[in-house]
Amino acid sequence: MRPSRALTNPANTRRASVPSRGYLAPILAALAALILPGCRTGAPPLDFPPGAQVLHLAERDDVPTLDPAIGYDTASWTFEQMIFDTLVRYSDTGVDLVPDAAISWEASPDARTFTFHLRRDVRFSTGRTVAAADFKYAIERVLRPATNSKGMEYFRALIGAEDFAAGRAGSVAGIETPDPWTIIFRLTGPDPIFVHKLAMPFAAAIPPEAVNRWGDDFFKHVVGSGPFMLREWIGGQRLVLARNPYYFIKGLPRLDAIVEQIGVDNELEWLKFEAGDIDVSAIPPAEFAYVMKTPRLKALTLRIVTLATDYLGMNCLMQPFTDVRVRRAFNYAIDRRKLIAVLNGRGVVAHGVLPPGLPGYDPGLEGYSYDPAKARLLLEEAGVGGNFAPQLWIRADQTEMILAQSIQQDLALVGVHVVIKPVAWPPLLDAVRQPNTAEIFLFGWEADFPDPANFLDVLFSRQQWGANNDTFYYDPRVDALLVEAAPQSNLERRYLLYRDAEQIIVRDAPWVFLYNPVTCVIRQPWVHDYVLNPMRPARLEKVWLSPHRDKE
Amino acid sequence: MLAYLLRRLVFGAAVLLGTSLITFTIAYVIPADPAVAMAGAKADPQTLATIRAQLGLDQPLYVQYARYLDRALHGDLGRSYIRRENVTRLILDRLPATAILAASAMALALLLGIPMGMLAAAYRERTLDNSLLVLSLGLVSMPVFWLGTMLLVAAAVYLRSLPLGGFSGWRSLVLPSVTLALGLAGYYSRILHTNLVDAMDQEYVRTARGKGLSRARAMLKHAMANAILPLVTLAGLDLAGLLSGVVLTETVFNWPGIGRLAYEAVFNLDIPLIMGTELFAALLVVLANLAVDLLYVWIDPRIRLSDQA
Amino acid sequence: MKLRLNPMEAAGAAMVLSLVVVAAFAPILAPHDPTRAIATTFGDPGAPSRAFPLGTDELGRDVLSRIIYGARISLTVGVAAMVVTMTIGVAIGLLSGFFGGAVDFLLMRFTDVMLTLPALLLAMAFVAVLRPSLLSILLMIGLVSWTGVARVVRAETLTMTQRDFVLAARALGAPPSRLILRHVLPNVTPIIVVMAVLGTSGTLLLDAGLSFLGLGVPPPIPSWGRMIEEATMYFRTAPWLAAFPGIAILYAVLSFNLLGYGYLRRRSRGSALNAP
Repeated sequence: MRPSRALTNPANTRRASVPSRGYLAPILAALAALILPGCRTGAPPLDFPPGAQVLHLAERDDVPTLDPAIGYDTASWTFEQMIFDTLVRYSDTGVDLVPDAAISWEASPDARTFTFHLRRDVRFSTGRTVAAADFKYAIERVLRPATNSKGMEYFRALIGAEDFAAGRAGSVAGIETPDPWTIIFRLTGPDPIFVHKLAMPFAAAIPPEAVNRWGDDFFKHVVGSGPFMLREWIGGQRLVLARNPYYFIKGLPRLDAIVEQIGVDNELEWLKFEAGDIDVSAIPPAEFAYVMKTPRLKALTLRIVTLATDYLGMNCLMQPFTDVRVRRAFNYAIDRRKLIAVLNGRGVVAHGVLPPGLPGYDPGLEGYSYDPAKARLLLEEAGVGGNFAPQLWIRADQTEMILAQSIQQDLALVGVHVVIKPVAWPPLLDAVRQPNTAEIFLFGWEADFPDPANFLDVLFSRQQWGANNDTFYYDPRVDALLVEAAPQSNLERRYLLYRDAEQIIVRDAPWVFLYNPVTCVIRQPWVHDYVLNPMRPARLEKVWLSPHRDKE
Repeated sequence: MLAYLLRRLVFGAAVLLGTSLITFTIAYVIPADPAVAMAGAKADPQTLATIRAQLGLDQPLYVQYARYLDRALHGDLGRSYIRRENVTRLILDRLPATAILAASAMALALLLGIPMGMLAAAYRERTLDNSLLVLSLGLVSMPVFWLGTMLLVAAAVYLRSLPLGGFSGWRSLVLPSVTLALGLAGYYSRILHTNLVDAMDQEYVRTARGKGLSRARAMLKHAMANAILPLVTLAGLDLAGLLSGVVLTETVFNWPGIGRLAYEAVFNLDIPLIMGTELFAALLVVLANLAVDLLYVWIDPRIRLSDQA
Repeated sequence: MKLRLNPMEAAGAAMVLSLVVVAAFAPILAPHDPTRAIATTFGDPGAPSRAFPLGTDELGRDVLSRIIYGARISLTVGVAAMVVTMTIGVAIGLLSGFFGGAVDFLLMRFTDVMLTLPALLLAMAFVAVLRPSLLSILLMIGLVSWTGVARVVRAETLTMTQRDFVLAARALGAPPSRLILRHVLPNVTPIIVVMAVLGTSGTLLLDAGLSFLGLGVPPPIPSWGRMIEEATMYFRTAPWLAAFPGIAILYAVLSFNLLGYGYLRRRSRGSALNAP
């Protein structure tokens, strides 16, 4: 999951008659002199040649970073995947791997060795050719403790990674570059989904010379080999990408530039969209019903169910959630359709852990329905009385707060009086990782890889207690199934094992399985080839604009 | 004079030291792990441990504070955990937006507040005075975030030419400045009114009036001189406050200023940034106080410097 | 003692009284349960109508009922936080003014330091860390708002300690605690009362601001500030949702300001105090 999920996920953005004495003038002049230097009113206007293809976007919050070793959120990745190339990437609309900087790759049968063959025509926006060493450098940089990368764990399984991180080795032994166009990864154990890790921006090629030049400020002077390059970034105001003239696919990108205006609230973004100033926009909650009722606008919307599941976690070590009946009762008591209505339909009811569209998803899973009577019965059976008031921990955020209040309303109807605890993100994470602090909490999980392991292993295995298994769920059968499934390269077999595990988990109900968030955007009629991906931000290199009123 | 200046400087530095100690204490008694803020949601315990060590969080608190202080004295407030940028630069980058907003709001507040206060004093105890008093109390009582939201509503419906937020050209300044200025104007008109009324009762003004000066002229020529100085002082100090960030107004209008920055810092528990913005605020207040002290000396050398402490 | 109120005080007092009545009798006055979904138009706030005079919000709750119940939390936090503020401020002001010397120096330097820190930011940091609850919020508001009170009380105490009756009592060997409680405190009480009234308008605004930033008293208790925060999402399509709770805040803050300033005007002691 990405930390600033709800901050950046479009589904969540949701969110003088001066007296005549001589001394006054100098005072005011002094004040003015104190303040005015260096002031300008906003960013200077941008100049593009007439007929330039410029895509205009807007966002409320600044992009956190452009450094591929650091960024781990939708907003950063939107631009990182346009500025950098990875060895492999996902197809435009799916979660299947396609070549990017690599032409081809092979995995050894034991899923421990992966060999990639690189294209020879990939070049950084400086003109220098990208070689295998640039990929090796990028991953080593992620593993280096001083980088404080969020992605280090994905590459720890490389042979020699631990030694490198501890400073005992000058390079990672498990990454070999026999020639500039070949890179071989060797792992300490089998990992059939390792290639997916190389599709994350963490593993994108970066030029060591640029990092050395800018040091800690590399994040705003990034250089990559992707279709676009960074042209300008004025903090809190504007981010501009321009086409990379050296991009290896001829004819791409079709756009000359991408301009993202920052500090534009949802509603404002919508007004700008209506005025034609913005080409692709999120739809603010307040306008959603109107858009869907207006055929002209509805036809311009794009919608996709993301590979994510939002849930209410229940701490299985804390009374009375130790009792499966209570956990099931919560599943029956919460009206998922109401939550989705509150989100303006930006979600589909979740029946289990895995989101639809994830390979290995089990369409036959029934899950729980809304049945408050049954919930009351189960609570009675479990002996949970009227003054039961669990604390619901959530992140302090507008939308989360509204969702929490909806849940609070539902549970009040079955006699459970929830106390909402809205806290900042780090204390929330701290609390849910304690075995005895957060009874119930509102969370979400987004897929990092299109594989059930990314949900089931990470969120429900005993090994992840104190890390990502925040419900402190443990079932030996589930653990056994997970251990058996993880190294399994035979996909059919692999998915069957995970299906069995998921069924047990759903029956044990450590979560209230709420909904799978839906991303919904609207684009102008002159925007073409803009498509959504269920797991990654939309790619922009194929987007083009037909002639329209130019607002620049 | 020089000795006085030195004393004020030492005093200011001592206050800043106290401020840093308090913010540091708050930041580090937080029952949450700053490494989590940096590492993100997914971080496994090993990643957290690595980052903790990198940040020096495994050191005793006094060591961390000494390090922080040492770097701060060299102008380095550390790096933001979230944005990974130098805190000093983050603040300076956001300063122009906040400074423009603060300056225009302050100018507007004085432009409205001074005539209001003068009128009220001129029509002392009459209907106009009373209505102005109630008006200014109304302005002071308005929650600024609500006023801002209501102005947004009005602008969205009626004034479609005004930008509804963000920082883009002079026109985008209108709504946030008005939002910020109205409450201040109400406040300043009250203060000026009180000061003027007091001054009008002073011996020298009475003498002037005895010599046949009209009430209005007496007020403008004599009372005003004494009444305006405290107001300017106050405005100067308030300006320092505004420059350190107007969280609510900047939040309503998505203004890319220091207030938004501070808000984000608190919500992400970005400790270096929280400390940086608070220290910056304190620095401005200390400097503004110093400036005001010096102004007083300059305007009125009779003010005995030793009484200023 | 005959109490003669000027019109401002009378208006302020009547407004405060009306707030107290609304808060006390909320269950009787409110047409609906403020937390229950009455309307079923989720995600789509309902406009004011005959059934819901102030409309319904995105969770189908009656806005009028929420505003009525909101008076409870606003008054509670406002007044309780004021009590915390006054307690700290008066204690520090009295000690500092009475003892002078090193005590005064230390306490006033501490006050200077606290004054340099922006109250809202400080309160935000505290609350975000301590997790919002009724207690944490009113404590934090109190902790960041006492500096002005301390300074005024110190100044008043200083002049008081120079008065003959205090000097006389001191010469007679009265212990400091007795001097403070019997002689100084009663004489600074009027100004404390005024500051308390005006301070309440300040704490009300600070509470509303925190609520607006999502750091108010957590739901289901309706709070005016948070109602506005939730309503900003709909400011263009459902402006009434933000308008009414704001009017409620304005009314409450104004009532205390009228009461306080009205009193000051009667006593014409305006220059001593420039709160809030």
